Amino acid sequence: MSNPANLLFIGLPGSGKTTFLAALWHVLSDRSSSTTLRLTKRSDDLTYLNQLTKEWRECSQVPRTNLRTDQVVVLHLDGEGFGAFDLSIPDLAGEAFKQQLTDRRMSRHHDVFVQKATGVILFLHPDIDKGLQITVARRLEAELNGSQKADTMAASAETSTWSPDKLPTQVSLVELLQFLLERTQRRLRVAVVVSAWDLVDNLGAPHDFVARALPLLHQFLGSNDDLIEHSVFGVSAQGGDVTVETEKQTLLELEDAMQRIKVRQEQQTSQDITKPIAWLLGGK
Amino acid sequence: MAAAVAAGAKVESADPVEEAEPDFIDLFSGMALGATDAEVITLRSRTHLIVFAGAEGSGKTTVLASIYEHLNQGSFPGFRFAGSRSLLGFEEICHLNRFGSGGIQPDTPRTRLTDETKYYHLALKAAEPPAARRDVLLSAMSGELFRMAKDSTEDAAQLTFLRRADTIVVLVDGERLSNTVQRTSAQADAADILESLLDASMVSPSCQVDIVFSKLDRITAAGQPALEFLAKSQEKFEKRFRSRVPHLAFRKIAARPALSVGQQKSDGSLAEAFVSWMTLVSPSEQDEHQGVPAPSRDEREFSKFGWRHFERTRRDS
Repeated sequence: MSNPANLLFIGLPGSGKTTFLAALWHVLSDRSSSTTLRLTKRSDDLTYLNQLTKEWRECSQVPRTNLRTDQVVVLHLDGEGFGAFDLSIPDLAGEAFKQQLTDRRMSRHHDVFVQKATGVILFLHPDIDKGLQITVARRLEAELNGSQKADTMAASAETSTWSPDKLPTQVSLVELLQFLLERTQRRLRVAVVVSAWDLVDNLGAPHDFVARALPLLHQFLGSNDDLIEHSVFGVSAQGGDVTVETEKQTLLELEDAMQRIKVRQEQQTSQDITKPIAWLLGGK
Repeated sequence: MAAAVAAGAKVESADPVEEAEPDFIDLFSGMALGATDAEVITLRSRTHLIVFAGAEGSGKTTVLASIYEHLNQGSFPGFRFAGSRSLLGFEEICHLNRFGSGGIQPDTPRTRLTDETKYYHLALKAAEPPAARRDVLLSAMSGELFRMAKDSTEDAAQLTFLRRADTIVVLVDGERLSNTVQRTSAQADAADILESLLDASMVSPSCQVDIVFSKLDRITAAGQPALEFLAKSQEKFEKRFRSRVPHLAFRKIAARPALSVGQQKSDGSLAEAFVSWMTLVSPSEQDEHQGVPAPSRDEREFSKFGWRHFERTRRDS
């Protein structure tokens, strides 16, 4: 019997969790590329994975998981140094994580996945809500205008009331990790996956991107190295913006859909989308 | 499985009915902490308490919010962010300085006298070995509360936690200090607050007291007379309090400077100030000043699981 392994994908809505899963299943089932982890046998029920992967192969937007369609995907895998194992991945709706932040509670159903998790992938999309400060924005504006003086603006404007759904991205992600630490009693391995990596690949390595764009998250991960072992990956699972017709066409015309995938860890780039999972399970 | 349990309950109807497990597990609120929750933190780990005191509008909450905003942009020299139980609380007081608020000028909500004292939590980790983790509680208190405490035992009792403060920051409103009509009152307000605290024996001998001239950009913009008045104010504070406050220091900061004074690198002085506020007075220094045994200042290792225990105990009770 194969060893069980349970991963948890966490992230806000639109952070790329389901697209990653679709591309992963394409790569594993296609079996034509050399990957760290390989499929040993097909799962019993492939309805959900096949539905996602069909959309991915046709360069359509992979539908977001909603609160009613949480699915648990089971993959039978092996790899050098890993042996055979059954990997369970619940595909949880990003909306559920958002609700945790606003409602300050976690469903017992979700907590079961948290307790079982042997590793966590934290997904984030590079289009980040930075919670831009007015003071910082005005300083930048003044610098761009080459002026030492701030514009004298009207002192008052209609302001909105604060609510918990206004959290900047990095604050939300730190809070989700704090929830995990709160609910688990053990050290966690966390693979941070910056999705849609093609958008920011020219800005340096994934680790540097997180340090620069999400400094609070970066500090949190570094400071809690006794509780969280982490590594940062840049993953382009879609290959481009499929909502732009010309980009979609370019992607469709590729000889091998595998070419759409790019995975970057530090300075190494490959098409091996199993790398973050292999790292979580003890690989390098 | 749930269906099986329900069926079993029907058959064995004489058995006591087990209370159904709730579908959801409560998580910590993330808002600013009340006195009880703050107390639990101080009991679980050696916690550094920094209290900001000052008249209304002197910039207490702005300084507090700016410390958090700084961490959102990067670490402090020597300290990195390691967590917080008050992220939502911090976000709430930062909201009016965010573009998302719809505002066009930075602002901060006022600390109301009627509010229960709130505490904002930060866990920080030293950048240098042994990289100890430290819990910090920050609190802003209105000057009016201190004045009321002078006259009422009940109000004074609310402030007893102040005796535990490692650092008290008394803010002198720089904007009022740069206004010739208001400057004497601004100076007197800050002095009265510190005097009230000392008279009520609220300041422990080991407490570091910083008198901070806030909104330095406004003082600088007001020109030389305002700067001279600031210097004279500092002399006055020095003469009046040095003998009563062994660890007295002065500082000028602009937590959110306007751009017109060429201080684009906004909070260099805030970072320096915060690092100083985080410094514990060494026992030898206390001995030197007080001639009495210093209270224990052991740095207990922060128990990360203490939080978990605390939260679960609270929910289960």
